[in-house]
Amino acid sequence: MNRTVMLHNIKVTLFFLTAATLLSSAFFLLSHNSANVAILYVLATVFVARHTAGYVPGIVTAFLSVIFINIVFTYPYLELNFTLDGYPVTFLGMVIIASLTSTLTTHLKEQTRILKEREHMLIEAEKEKMRANLLRAISHDLRTPLTGIIGSAAAYLEQESVLTAQDKARLVEDISEDAQWLLHMVENLLSVTRINDQTACVKTTLEPLEEVVSSALQRFRKRLPGAVVHVQIPDELLMIPMDATLIEQVLINLLENAVYHSGSHKPVDLLVSVEGNQACFHIRDYGLGLDAKTLDSLFDGYTSTQNHSSDSHKGMGIGLSICKTIIHAHHGQIFAKNHRDGAEFTFILPLGELTYESEIDSSDH
Amino acid sequence: MSQKLTAVIIEDEKNICRFMESILAGESYKTITASTGTEGLSVIASQCPDIILLDLGLPDMDGMEIIRNVRGFTSTPIIVISARTREHEKVEALDCGADDYITKPFGTSELMARIRTALRHSHRGGSSDSVYSCGGLVIDFEKRLISLDGEEVHLTQIEYKLVSMLAKQAGKVLTYDYLMQQIWGPYNDSNNQILRVNMAHIRRKLEKNPAEPEYIFTEIGVGYRMREE
Repeated sequence: MNRTVMLHNIKVTLFFLTAATLLSSAFFLLSHNSANVAILYVLATVFVARHTAGYVPGIVTAFLSVIFINIVFTYPYLELNFTLDGYPVTFLGMVIIASLTSTLTTHLKEQTRILKEREHMLIEAEKEKMRANLLRAISHDLRTPLTGIIGSAAAYLEQESVLTAQDKARLVEDISEDAQWLLHMVENLLSVTRINDQTACVKTTLEPLEEVVSSALQRFRKRLPGAVVHVQIPDELLMIPMDATLIEQVLINLLENAVYHSGSHKPVDLLVSVEGNQACFHIRDYGLGLDAKTLDSLFDGYTSTQNHSSDSHKGMGIGLSICKTIIHAHHGQIFAKNHRDGAEFTFILPLGELTYESEIDSSDH
Repeated sequence: MSQKLTAVIIEDEKNICRFMESILAGESYKTITASTGTEGLSVIASQCPDIILLDLGLPDMDGMEIIRNVRGFTSTPIIVISARTREHEKVEALDCGADDYITKPFGTSELMARIRTALRHSHRGGSSDSVYSCGGLVIDFEKRLISLDGEEVHLTQIEYKLVSMLAKQAGKVLTYDYLMQQIWGPYNDSNNQILRVNMAHIRRKLEKNPAEPEYIFTEIGVGYRMREE
């Protein structure tokens, strides 16, 4: 047994014995009844057995208790006298209680440890499964555009002499489009590395909502200059605790999702509202809507790529699952539903305590 | 322009180097490339280029070290080429003396726009213009007047300082730290919330929709950039 455990055992034993002795003395002085004294020492023995490692401390406590009671609380006082009537029975009883409790508690501790370990293993297995699924989704989603790039480049290089200028331009355009998509993928994956592995949490700072929204829109428009987004956010300044880069990524993913999958060219709405102590982001498109069957598995990434659009490289494969990971790391929620004319994705971020604006106003003016 | 401008590209990735060279050659720049920091430094010292394009991830030297070293003998504009999601790296480079950064991957137009902005700032050498004008926004630095679509806009002292600082270096990103230091002095706390809140107030006075600004853009995690025409 190592030294710290022993030290801990000694401390615990002394603490409970002292407590029992003090309480017993108080009782004894007030009521002159020694019946409660034995009970208090038995209690102390149980506690010691419960809070220490191994059998020894419990049994030692029992021994000491019996001797204490004998010396202090039974006649003749302050003398060790084992000839009292029935004393050996008390003594034996205490020792048996102590060893039984020690055995039981040690056993109990062992059981809880095993349970915890098993739980931990289950979580690990779950994580491992998620990781495997993510990897599968990634390799699928990366391979498709790569195939396009390699194919187009090979076609260009091998048949340069027979291709028309128009064909060449188209091949290069395809390469560029596929490469953009790849980049988008990689940025999504990179963003996940900002989330702490152990705690699945992110470092958040208070960010003005409008800055994050405008930055996301700017990047979105650079990628899809033709798409129209109607933005509506609260007029007052809203500071939301978040990792801005990650929330920007979520916004871009959901906006692109709306453009690619709605099957319509109508403008997309981006609405932000405050409800209680939460900020709600709604991304609404006016297109086909979502298949009711996929609603549940939409954010799991891998399942949706299996049944349909498995060869379309614009499948949101990992995009939505990354959104979910990011929002959950912010202790928020994300869900999708259909409205009358299309699909709506909503994510909710907790606001925390918002006092900064008022603080500034009072100090500034 | 009779004489070609010279650009030094310090980048160890051959493909990226090659495509930047062809972009710059297409815009009739003379280019010199270097694949290591040491080589880059000696080229800069011997050729006195007009602009330096610097990749931060070099095999032999830390990018920041190169910036500090170059700043020791010349104020030639440096544009840092950096990967996304590494804001702290961009901020550090800017605070070390780099003039601007561009995020990998980038397009031709973006690269050329950044180069032109950096060159313009280095030639002007600060604020010789007394008026900033862009779209409907006009700032008269001498009279300290700001007008938007012909109507005067009232800003507080701090708000005016912020806007004029951004406008005088329009097109260039100014980091949170730089702005905090310039306006609240070197002893401010490291928290930049006060800056963010002031910018929000400014946005409400200058922009029609704060979520889609026309004049002042946010570079998440780095700072602000004012539109330049």
